Amino acid sequence: MSTVTVLVIDDEPQIRRAVRNALISGRLLGANGDSAMDSPPVSGSDGQRRVRVVEAATGREGIDLAAAESPALVVLDLGLPDMPGIEVCREIRRWSSAPIIVLSARHADTEKVALLDAGADDYLTKPFSTIEFMARARAQLRRAQTAASPNDGVMTFGDVSVDLPKRRVERAGELLHLTPTEWLLLRTFVTHPRQTLTHRQLFHAVWGNAEGDAQQYLRVYVGHLRRKIEADPVRPQFIHTEAGVGYRFEPTGTS
Amino acid sequence: MHMTRRQRVLWLLWFGVLVAVGATMLVLRARLDRAHVALIFLLVVLGGSSAAGRALGIALAFGAFLAFNYFFLPPYLTFAIADPLDWLVLVTFLITSLVAAQLLYRARSTAEAAMARAAEVDRLATLGAETLNLARPEDALRAILDVIRTTLGVVSCDVLIHGAGEGFVTIAHSPADVSAQHNELSADWSPPGDPTVHDGVLGWPDTTDTASAEGLVGWIFVHGRGAVELADGAIRIVDDPPLETARPERSDEVRALWIPLAVRNETVGVLRVRTPGDLRLTLDQARFLDALAYYVALGVERQRLVAEAERAEAERRVEALRSALLTAVSHDLRTPLTTIKAIAHEIAHGGPTDGARVIEDESDRLDALVGDLLDLSRIQSGAIGPSAEVNTADDLIGAALRRADAILRGRAIDIDLPPNQLLAGRFDLTNALRALVNLLENASKYSPTGSPITIRARQEGDRLRIAVLDRGPGVPVEERARIFEPFYRPATTAPDVGGTGLGLSIARGLAVAQGGGVEFEPRAGGGSVFTLVLPGAELGSESTFVV
Repeated sequence: MSTVTVLVIDDEPQIRRAVRNALISGRLLGANGDSAMDSPPVSGSDGQRRVRVVEAATGREGIDLAAAESPALVVLDLGLPDMPGIEVCREIRRWSSAPIIVLSARHADTEKVALLDAGADDYLTKPFSTIEFMARARAQLRRAQTAASPNDGVMTFGDVSVDLPKRRVERAGELLHLTPTEWLLLRTFVTHPRQTLTHRQLFHAVWGNAEGDAQQYLRVYVGHLRRKIEADPVRPQFIHTEAGVGYRFEPTGTS
Repeated sequence: MHMTRRQRVLWLLWFGVLVAVGATMLVLRARLDRAHVALIFLLVVLGGSSAAGRALGIALAFGAFLAFNYFFLPPYLTFAIADPLDWLVLVTFLITSLVAAQLLYRARSTAEAAMARAAEVDRLATLGAETLNLARPEDALRAILDVIRTTLGVVSCDVLIHGAGEGFVTIAHSPADVSAQHNELSADWSPPGDPTVHDGVLGWPDTTDTASAEGLVGWIFVHGRGAVELADGAIRIVDDPPLETARPERSDEVRALWIPLAVRNETVGVLRVRTPGDLRLTLDQARFLDALAYYVALGVERQRLVAEAERAEAERRVEALRSALLTAVSHDLRTPLTTIKAIAHEIAHGGPTDGARVIEDESDRLDALVGDLLDLSRIQSGAIGPSAEVNTADDLIGAALRRADAILRGRAIDIDLPPNQLLAGRFDLTNALRALVNLLENASKYSPTGSPITIRARQEGDRLRIAVLDRGPGVPVEERARIFEPFYRPATTAPDVGGTGLGLSIARGLAVAQGGGVEFEPRAGGGSVFTLVLPGAELGSESTFVV
């Protein structure tokens, strides 16, 4: 029986308790699709899997536990007594690829962006609902798994199929014409599914380290891309806006 | 004695007249009585006095006295006098002449002084009227300083008052482009020992101090006395600096005056008058400067009162907001807390757990209120910085619809965008989003359940306009000015409609902070149109973006 270890770094005992209860409620691993919330826990290939929650009340302790326990997922509260949460995030990311979900009471977008740029994979602002937290946690675990799995290079979402090696995009069987920038954007999105990409990360993926006028129009390029692949660009199914932070690609067409 | 050219001419002329009159009378001497001679000479003396002043009058009187004696009193052509009674005539003539010349002089100088004073009063009255007419007190101060500078021919003058902190600041100076040197002056200078100064200019104080002029301002504020700065940099404490420079026997060079500005015995500022050479005023100029200094003092006082009034008004507004905030916080925060506490108590004591849903709803309400209050305080404190980026209307509207999803559920939303055109603006998405969501919530809250809401986006000129159109009751004309005030709720609002009364106020604050705004207009056919106006962005044709 394999064990999935989740590390919770939070100085508030009540929040640790709420997160622990949610994690061990049995819904964390029942995930193959997004509607799997109510489905029973799914067996792994080697049988039943178990969730183990490790808790730390300080940043230092959290970093030590992250090194000692090799958790599959880290839940990190930013308001730690001993060091800034973003430092903890950076430190763990230096040697671990485990997904990090950040909990924050502050709503400033600049902070979210800084966190994602520092290596966090997702963030939740307090107060958050348990349902939302579990959905995010599942998404991160699933993404960590799929990232490791080999990819044949063809992605399909909705009526759109993207052939990465051939650089071909089809929608409802018809070839879509994308500009080079739109192609680079789309390729970045489909290779980072369910992950919030900050504007900076997208700039970097599309333009590399070059600085230029074009960068300020990133949102406009996304707008054009949406008009080509979304049925209703104002109510997008695939490329979602994270206001003030960036964009997130949902291949299954949900939010 | 120094004489002007005009005075010399007058003197020659009148002595000429005296000689001519004397010669004429000499020809007619046999037929003239002593009284005739005396009266005619007196006439000449009076004429000379009134034409060229007292000195000429006295000179003419003595000249006539000698001529009278020499030519007209026997024995002739000697200064001897035969008849003792003739002495009486002669001396009487001299005294009468001198007294007349003196009286004439006095009358004339009084009239001149009166005229000069009338002119001065006139000038001050004009200045007073002019400065009072200036709407801004700073301009009035500047105008007075300009008058002082041009009238006295000095290089610069400025006014120093207590700054916000420890030092002193220049609040007005003439000429306008004088560099703001000495803008911050330290207040910690004090003269060694208290200078003993007698009242008035006669009490010439010995106390000189070579300390820098900077601490002097503070000293003047405390003691309410003026100072003159000498050419060698020494400072001399005096009670009336203008009068000091007008002292005729003064031998040192005055470079600057520091005049305390007092209103009702309180020093409100210091007027500093500076000139590179020696500043030497006439008594009239000194009086004029004293009068103008009082005008400056009144100007400073006026500026202070205006600033105080503005501050009081700002405080009143903050106070009004604070009390509204207190009401809102005590009511809107406590109501959900009361519910949560009651239900939690029930559950904790084994009651039914179906109230948990209510706890969740009430928590959301609390969260929304805390968010509103934080936003409001961010707007009020000016913390919304411009972090504008090019954003699309698609993004903004899409994100707003998602965020307002729960509120808009079950309601038809029509989206009216220009076909085949991507609209964009230069704004901060988070703040614009908050503003638009508030407009959507507002529309939803005040229009009948199920009635459709339309979102219409257009580019107009350099503005991006996103309108939210509802079929609610609209806003009565008399309430339209107030709907954007914090905590305003329509009088007819049902108590269960929820909301903090902050939505529109926050929306407008967030939009204004980005160079836009929120506009209201009634909708044709009933309802309201709230339009979020944001700075637009020119995108040009789509091909521009092919990279």
